[in-house]
Amino acid sequence: MRRRTLLRIARKLGKPWRPIPPGLPRFPHPLALQLAHVAQWFHALSDTRRLHILEFLSQRERSVTELHDVTGIPISSVSFHLRVLRDSGLVDESRDGRRKYFSIRGETLDDMATLTHKVGPGKHVGTCLLSCCQRT
Amino acid sequence: MSNASQVAHWFHALADETRIQIVEMLSHKERCVCELEQVLHIAQSRVSFHLKVLKDAGVITDRRDGRWMWYNINGAVLDQIATYTRSVKPGKHAGSCALACC
Repeated sequence: MRRRTLLRIARKLGKPWRPIPPGLPRFPHPLALQLAHVAQWFHALSDTRRLHILEFLSQRERSVTELHDVTGIPISSVSFHLRVLRDSGLVDESRDGRRKYFSIRGETLDDMATLTHKVGPGKHVGTCLLSCCQRT
Repeated sequence: MSNASQVAHWFHALADETRIQIVEMLSHKERCVCELEQVLHIAQSRVSFHLKVLKDAGVITDRRDGRWMWYNINGAVLDQIATYTRSVKPGKHAGSCALACC
């Protein structure tokens, strides 16, 4: 690509999408990391198979083979879904000899309930970048 | 109790950083796409896409006022999500599985 073309593209990219009014600052969110965590929690529960597994785990801790027996999901899939749940912090893993047991971490579920309660209508969290939040 | 695919649909709608921010902003008051677009600093088409995902899952509702669409949060669905997360907590078995215990 010619240098002139590249420069033109770079100049276009540098400009904001539309001039931003003074009351509304730009994107970088102060809670970017926290937001990523929250998105991961919800992603972990956005699959019917994972919800099925979670329901069985809510009773007591179980191993992969037990979950395979009760849900009928193939072992490799159970392992995959448990990994997604573990990485998001919804499920804890403990080892007993050669077997791994998985149990639900109640605190994360509490945090999710708290968040959904906080963002209910008329219950502003006060962390967005609007002028309404900065005045108070 | 809602079925699993409906629950998965709700959680999928909130499984994105932009959509969580949109929900957070809507919790203050109802807003139009123009405000969301300026604060999040993303293109209008993307804001509309995210709003459509949230609307399909029932997390937000919309209202037409002349040429503008106003979006508002649906408190009932958020309450149901919170209820679901409480129902699967350890020791609070939902009792709907096909095991001998149930």
